[in-house]
Amino acid sequence: MQSARSTDFNGKGDTAGVADRGLRISDLRVSIAHNEILKGIDLQVEPGRVHALMGPNGSGKSTLALALAGNPGYEISGSATLDGLDLLALSPDKRARAGLFLSFQYPAAIPGVKVSSFLQATRQAVRPGDLPPAKFRQLVMEKMDLLDMDPSFLGRYLNDGFSGGEKKRLEMLQLAVLAPKYAILDETDSGLDIDALRAVGESLHAMRRDESTKELGLLIITHYPRILQHIAADVVHIMVDGRIVKEGGPQLAHTIEREGYDALREDSAVRV
Amino acid sequence: MSEALLAPSPDAWAPALEAVASDPRALETSDIAARTAAFERYRLSSANRERPGRYWKIDLDTLHPAAARSAWRAARAEFSGGTARGVVRCDLATAAREEPAVFNKAFRRALAFAPGKYAALAQALHSGGAFIYLPADVCVDEPIVISYRAEAATATFPYTLIVAEKGSSATIIEKHESNERELFVCGITEVIAESSSSVTHAAVQRLPEDAVAFFTRAASLQQSARLSWGLADLGAYVSGSTVVAAIEGAAAESHIAAIFFPCGEQHVDFVTAVDHLAGQSQSRTVVKSAAAGNGQARYLGNIRIAANEHGCDASLKDDALLLSPGAHIDSVPALEIAANDVKAFHGATVGALDEEMVFYMTTRGLEPAAAKRMITLGFFEPAIEHFPTNALRELLRSELARKIGA
Repeated sequence: MQSARSTDFNGKGDTAGVADRGLRISDLRVSIAHNEILKGIDLQVEPGRVHALMGPNGSGKSTLALALAGNPGYEISGSATLDGLDLLALSPDKRARAGLFLSFQYPAAIPGVKVSSFLQATRQAVRPGDLPPAKFRQLVMEKMDLLDMDPSFLGRYLNDGFSGGEKKRLEMLQLAVLAPKYAILDETDSGLDIDALRAVGESLHAMRRDESTKELGLLIITHYPRILQHIAADVVHIMVDGRIVKEGGPQLAHTIEREGYDALREDSAVRV
Repeated sequence: MSEALLAPSPDAWAPALEAVASDPRALETSDIAARTAAFERYRLSSANRERPGRYWKIDLDTLHPAAARSAWRAARAEFSGGTARGVVRCDLATAAREEPAVFNKAFRRALAFAPGKYAALAQALHSGGAFIYLPADVCVDEPIVISYRAEAATATFPYTLIVAEKGSSATIIEKHESNERELFVCGITEVIAESSSSVTHAAVQRLPEDAVAFFTRAASLQQSARLSWGLADLGAYVSGSTVVAAIEGAAAESHIAAIFFPCGEQHVDFVTAVDHLAGQSQSRTVVKSAAAGNGQARYLGNIRIAANEHGCDASLKDDALLLSPGAHIDSVPALEIAANDVKAFHGATVGALDEEMVFYMTTRGLEPAAAKRMITLGFFEPAIEHFPTNALRELLRSELARKIGA
């Protein structure tokens, strides 16, 4: 199932393959019902770095996120590797076990499945047997505290009857508990009030401070630079109409805020 | 079910009826006239709500054990769990003999609301069973457990009678389990809930997958009585269940939570009927069913509110989950409302597993099979949480998980 390249990586063990590290997306094209949404994306997320992916509504940002997570309905070409591992050859569960996490813009509600048992089952799936139950519970409590979540969340059914903000906090809790190598945050900021946004920022900072998760590579998808006030981006990528049209440092986000995407639309037209 | 145990004619049971009449140990033999009348109703009525077709394969009118007379046994109940001062727990014949006053007042009282072919057969042939009597204002804390275990190649007709006097309360768990082959079980559970009593009754059927099982459960609720019913039909090749709550007293409350899950070649026929015969009464019915393999189910959920019985509040929620292309569940919720000032709600859904849910869970590292199992178990949870005791809920979860994996 894996490409020769990823076999190579596995063969060399953890310390090898430094050159392959990162979430590397190259010439990724995605069609939904024969309609091309992503028209050749090249993007790299480095370990330990914060990347922002910005762009207007309908530019294909969520499609990119869902394609990387393994949405079964997409026709995909191009390549995407996670530390050298061929992601596109893997089922969604294997991508997660390889260290990829997607914070959904619209997480599914699953009645009858308690948050506590879901967290336990997913941690067990991603990191089998690494924590005794008491330690696991302690970890969950610490992470919930950072996100300003009441312990009563644990007894509720997964996203069932949750407000938009509660869903996003639960996505962030899962991120913190599963501790992946790379995380894509799909509009985690939308629908969050200022306090929730601050809590999300703090939770991400805590992960980046923690020795075991400081290498987390983040791809933060957003319309607005608002979330970037709480977690600063190292690199900003701008997507318009299924293409990355511009990349730059953190100042690019401010330019966008000032000038909007329209100027870039013209750029992209020129590039086509 | 082996062919040897099935005969084409209901008359196969006639010798069994004669045996009841001539057996001095049988319950109230003087009652032979009522039994004979019930047998005639059984002989002449049809249990089929529709003929066998593309999905549903069984003709419910032809399930007559051939070796009826020799296979017929008295049902044996074992009791465990709670009791309290004045509480009676005994077999039905003992109750008829030693507690005639309370027995005669209650016996067959709620069954009047439960017509039906197999209710009639059980009334004709019942032998053995359990009697539970809760004196007024007595509260039994620990659940009372009644276990029926049928022997191989037998036909049993257990009759469970529960009488809750005014202000009493108890939890009663009725289990029908067996590992034996070729069972035919046709039972009755009757609950008489006197005013302001509170009864929680859970019935779990886990018979082997070649058994034929019919259960009729009927309750009469008097003023301000509360009955919470948890019903799980998990075993048997053919399982037919009818649940009837007759709300005869004002401000009474009926809760029904039902679970069934035909897998392989299992067939389940399930009927709930809530009859609001008094005003200001409340009923909640929650039915969660799934089908896998070639599992088949039919569900009829009826709510009736009688004329001029105002202020009733009734709801019926029925969700069916189809886990394979060969599985099929027919759901028919029905409201018959003859009063004006009432609240009544019904909602039914039927569908496959939501792929979006499966995708979401797999993106967290869960394998698709594990994700589907969690979603399916979660689907049943709103019904499971109405069942009493942690141990019973865990039993249901593990039994359902086993069926999902099968």
